[in-house]
Amino acid sequence: MPNKNFIHFLLLLLVTYRNKHISIFIISTVVVALLASLFFISTSIKKEIDLTLDAQADFVVQRYEAGKALSTPESWIDEFTQINGVENVSARVYGVHFFEPAEEYFLIVGIDFFDEHTTQALQKLINSIDVDKFLSKKNMIIGEGVKELLDYYHYFDYYIFRPPDRGKEKVYIYDVLPKETQIISNDIIFMDIDEARKVLGVEDGYVTDIVLNIANPLEVQTIKRKLIISHFNMRIIEKSAMKRYYANLFNYKGGIFLIFYIVILMTFFLILYQRYSMISHVDAKEIAILRLVGWRINEVIWLKVGENFLVALFAYLLGVILAYVFVFYLNAPLLRDIFLGSQNLAHSAGFIANINMEVLGLIFLLFVIPFIVAILVPVWRVAMKEPVEVMR
Amino acid sequence: MIVMKNVSKSFTHASQEMFHALHNITLLIEDGQCVVLSGISGSGKSTLLSIVGAIMRPTSGSVEIDGNNIVSFSDYHLSHYRNKTIGYVTQSFHLFESLSVRDNLLAPLVINDLSSSKIENMIESALKQANILHKANKKVFTLSGGEKQRCLIARALVNDPSIILCDEPTASLDKKNSLEFIEIIRTLHKLGKTIIIATHDPLFEELDCVDRFYKMNEGTIE
Repeated sequence: MPNKNFIHFLLLLLVTYRNKHISIFIISTVVVALLASLFFISTSIKKEIDLTLDAQADFVVQRYEAGKALSTPESWIDEFTQINGVENVSARVYGVHFFEPAEEYFLIVGIDFFDEHTTQALQKLINSIDVDKFLSKKNMIIGEGVKELLDYYHYFDYYIFRPPDRGKEKVYIYDVLPKETQIISNDIIFMDIDEARKVLGVEDGYVTDIVLNIANPLEVQTIKRKLIISHFNMRIIEKSAMKRYYANLFNYKGGIFLIFYIVILMTFFLILYQRYSMISHVDAKEIAILRLVGWRINEVIWLKVGENFLVALFAYLLGVILAYVFVFYLNAPLLRDIFLGSQNLAHSAGFIANINMEVLGLIFLLFVIPFIVAILVPVWRVAMKEPVEVMR
Repeated sequence: MIVMKNVSKSFTHASQEMFHALHNITLLIEDGQCVVLSGISGSGKSTLLSIVGAIMRPTSGSVEIDGNNIVSFSDYHLSHYRNKTIGYVTQSFHLFESLSVRDNLLAPLVINDLSSSKIENMIESALKQANILHKANKKVFTLSGGEKQRCLIARALVNDPSIILCDEPTASLDKKNSLEFIEIIRTLHKLGKTIIIATHDPLFEELDCVDRFYKMNEGTIE
């Protein structure tokens, strides 16, 4: 094990020959920053998806006929309530609204505020909601992206919708959904179910879909079967399927980038290996001098690995810090649009800082260990030679 | 005491042709002797020195130093032997050019578990012996050829080895610096160090401190 004099000598060489390491250090920092950015974005996305979807119902039921989604009869609610194990059945009315000034689409979601479960679920998203106050006039709760767009067109307090019956519906902005839920709710507008019917032109007695919960998670499949038997013309979307859909969507994008990244990483390590394989005259001379004055092979390797470990470690630390700033302060320009391009509105706010030690450990393993291995082999090969052979 | 018996060294060139650098060399050097190996380039004197200095292994034969055949040593023990017993003054200036003279002298010491004050004392002593103390904190690349040579000598002496090997020590020096080097050799000889010098410089031919003078030619001692 190296003693303190050895470490002093190692640091002395590292500081003295810092120019030799600077290019490797800069490239390493960029490589780590890229990898860390990918991991930070994907973990941040996962957290946001989990936070939002956990508040959703277990099942979403829609009427489908001839492969086409139709309005679902409200009467189905009573039927579903009769099924043992089913709870919190409620109706939803939703649809897409075209916001002409900006040529963007909003997703309007109508909610039955007299349904206790629905409001509880919404309260997980927004804590300050007071149902009585909300229903006292035509109100809506909007996503961050919608708010920014409405503000831009000076709809600071309300917006006037143009329903299909050619009337006007003036709806006030009650609140804005929290940033943590933005990945899914950026373009959403929540409003009372009756108001949503008017805005979207859904007939009375019909809803877009029905949501319900299952009391016992073990009965999910049994109840799903019972629902299907009750009506042949329905489609059931499970919460787990929605989670999978979003996870797949973002993992797919992350996966593509990871492949690109691995190619970059492999290229970098090959360059690193090549650099040490064609070890420079200065490096070879250093090793020869050390062997000449009595250094053993393992001591030479300790020195070279130590030097490069410190370079890799500082590159790792700086890369992680840069990635943190890039993702959580600058909102990952370029990468953000690629990862979050599934919604109608572009995301305006940033990712929620979410870092765990596992991610940092994984980045360390993926970078520092191969880095050390890439330089270890060529250095070992030079150190193994007779000193006189290297000195020539 | 250094005892070389039937030492031969052959190299294979890229053209697969064998080159015999040393032929059955048998040599005895007593402790404290100053020996000069003379000869033209390619006569084998540097190869002989490299084998005694344990930076090259012979193809055949044995090299006993204080009763131990170093040819049979593993690399681990050979490195230890180089560090403790040998002080090597190389022909080229094999130094860390960007480090100071003092820091260059750290290299042989840091692998041993010594206290900082002990290391400092050893460096100080070696710098004084090599007459380079006044340049201790200068970077090597700022030194003249003679000063670099003295830095090499200081590094060779820093571990207080019993054998000093000098390979063409005056090849890059002017007359003044060469004479200064000889003075240092004279002092080391008085201190009882075993000194082997490989050179073709005629300055060493009539040196009073030289105990033996061997002329080498085509890998043999004449």
